[in-house]
Amino acid sequence: MSSPRHFIYFVLLPLAVATLLVMPWLGEHRPSWDVITRPMADDLDAIIFWQIRVPRILLAMLAGMGLSLGGVVFQAIFRNPLATPFTLGVAGGASLGVTLAIFLGLNLTILGVSGVSLAALIGAMGAIAVVYGIARATGNISPNTILLGGVAISFFFASLILLLQYLGDMSDSFRILHWLMGDLSRANADTIFQVLPFVASGALITGFLHRELNLLSINDDLAASCGLHVERMRMILFLAVSLMIAGIVTVCGPIGFVGIMAPHICRLIVGSNHRNLVPASLLFGGIFLAICDTLARTISTSAEVPVGIITAILGGPFFLWLLFRKGRNALID
Amino acid sequence: MNSIHLQNLSFSIGAKRLLDNVSISVDQGERVVIVGPNGAGKTTLLRCLLGFITKTEGSVTLQEKPLPELSRQEIARMIGYVPQQLESDIPFTVLEFIMMSRYANAQVGGILPKDPDGESIAKQATERTGIQHLENQSMSTLSGGERQKVNIAAALAQQTPILVLDEPSAHLDPKQRESIQQLLGEIGRKSGTTIITVTHDLNWAAMDFDRIIGMSHGRVITDAPPAEFMTTENLLQIFDAHWTVQTHPESGHPFILPTQHSS
Repeated sequence: MSSPRHFIYFVLLPLAVATLLVMPWLGEHRPSWDVITRPMADDLDAIIFWQIRVPRILLAMLAGMGLSLGGVVFQAIFRNPLATPFTLGVAGGASLGVTLAIFLGLNLTILGVSGVSLAALIGAMGAIAVVYGIARATGNISPNTILLGGVAISFFFASLILLLQYLGDMSDSFRILHWLMGDLSRANADTIFQVLPFVASGALITGFLHRELNLLSINDDLAASCGLHVERMRMILFLAVSLMIAGIVTVCGPIGFVGIMAPHICRLIVGSNHRNLVPASLLFGGIFLAICDTLARTISTSAEVPVGIITAILGGPFFLWLLFRKGRNALID
Repeated sequence: MNSIHLQNLSFSIGAKRLLDNVSISVDQGERVVIVGPNGAGKTTLLRCLLGFITKTEGSVTLQEKPLPELSRQEIARMIGYVPQQLESDIPFTVLEFIMMSRYANAQVGGILPKDPDGESIAKQATERTGIQHLENQSMSTLSGGERQKVNIAAALAQQTPILVLDEPSAHLDPKQRESIQQLLGEIGRKSGTTIITVTHDLNWAAMDFDRIIGMSHGRVITDAPPAEFMTTENLLQIFDAHWTVQTHPESGHPFILPTQHSS
C-alpha cells in the first residue's frame, strides 16, 4: 500500500472520526457524559448535545467535504490552481436568489424546503445555465471561456445583491448580510438530509471519475488522444459539482476558502493523483470546516461568529501564500 | 491494408481554407513525414486525423473504418499521439503519467474499469524508450528531451497500430533532437507501427521515412519517397526558398544546404 493511502486510512479517517466524537462536547455549556445514552431525552444537556451540536458538526463535515471536493474538481477541469466554485458564479447565483427571496418576503415552504433555500437553489442553477450558455454561445467550451464567464457573472450578481441591500430595509439587509457570511446555525436533521444527497452524489461521481480528472488536469488534446470525450466530461463534472455546491450553499450560505485551502494542503501531502486526492480532500475538508465551526461558536462568549468569517481569516493569508509559492506561474495560469 | 486514408479533405475557418482537397493514403507499417512552411496546414491535418476537428468536408478512414463512426476510445486504441511539447509543470510521476495514457485500454466491467496489465505495459514502454531510471521521478523535474521521451513512451503504452507525432523534436537542443529521432527510427523499423509525423527538419525527413508529403497553403504539393522529393524545384515550390540538395557521402541520403547569405 502506498504512503498516500496510508495517510488517508491511518491519519485522515481516524481524525474525521475523532472530530465527530470530540467536537460536540466543546462549547460554553458542558453536557454531562451520560448524555450519550439519552439521544431522545428532552433535558437541556440532551437538547444541546443531540439536537444542536451533533447535527451542526455533521452539517459542517458534509459542507466541508462538498466544498473541498468542489475545489478539487474545478481546479482540475479548469487547470487553474485558484479556481473554486465561488469563482464560477454558483455561490453568486445562490446568494442573489436568497437576497431576492428575503427582499420580496418569500415565506412559503414547498415539500419541506423553505422559500429561501429554493430561491438559492434556483439562483445557483440559473448561474450554471448562464455560464454554460455563454460558453456554448461562443462556440468554445474551453476552461478559459467558462472561467471568464463565471467571474463576469459573479461580479454582476454581486452588484445586484448590493443594489437589493441598498433598496431593502435594515432588517432585510441584516438577514442578507448574515446569510452571505456563511452560517451553520440552521443545522438540524432536515437540513442535513437536504445537503446529504448533493454531497453523496457529488462524491460518488468524482470518486468514479478520478482517471478522467487526472487526464483533464493535464491537457485537453492529450486527454482526447487517450480516449476521453473532453468537452462532455468537463460539462458532466461542472454540472454535477455545481449542483452539489448549490445544495450546500442553499443551506449554509457561501462559505469561502474551504475549496481552495483543503485541496492544496492535501495535494502537498498525497500528491496530485485524483485517486488519492479526492478521498483525502473529502475527509480533510470535512474535518477542517467542523473545526472552524467549533471555533466559530466557542471563540466568543457573547455571540457566535459566522463560520465564513473564520474560514476567510484563515483563507486570505493562505491564498496569498499560494500565490507567492506558485509565483508568476499562478498568475499566468 | 490502408492504415489511414484521407479523401478530398477540406477544412475552413470563416473564409480561410486551412485544408484544401487533401487526399493521402498511408499503408500499415509505412513511415510518412509531412513537411511544409508554417501555416501550411500540417498540424490541422493531424488534428483532423485524430478526430479533434470534426466539421470537415471529405472523408477520413482509419483501419478501413470511417472516422465519424468511431468513438473517442476506439480512436485512442488505433492512434497513439505525441504532442509538440506539454506544459512543464505536470504534477505526476513518469510512471503515473504513462499509465494514464492507457485510459482507453482499461476493461470496463465491475464497478470501476480495470487495467491489470497497465503497469507492466507502462514499464515495457519506459524500457523501450530508455527512461526506466526516471519512472518514479516527477514530470516537472525532467528536461525537454526526457519529457518528450516520456510522451513517446505514453503513446507506445497505448499499444496502437498507428503513431502520430506533431514536431516531436521541436524546441530541443541538437543532441536531444538526435536522441529522439534515433528512438523514433528504431520504433518505426522494429515494430511495424504506422508512423505519421510533422517536422521542420528536412534532413531527418529524408533520412528516416518512406515518404515525404510536402504541403503549402493547405494543399499537398508533392508526395514522394525522399530521393524523389528532395529536389531544388520541389523545395522552391513548397517553401519558396532556394536550397541546394546534396547526397550524404556516407549514408547516400539526400540533404539540404542552406543558401549562403549575401553580406
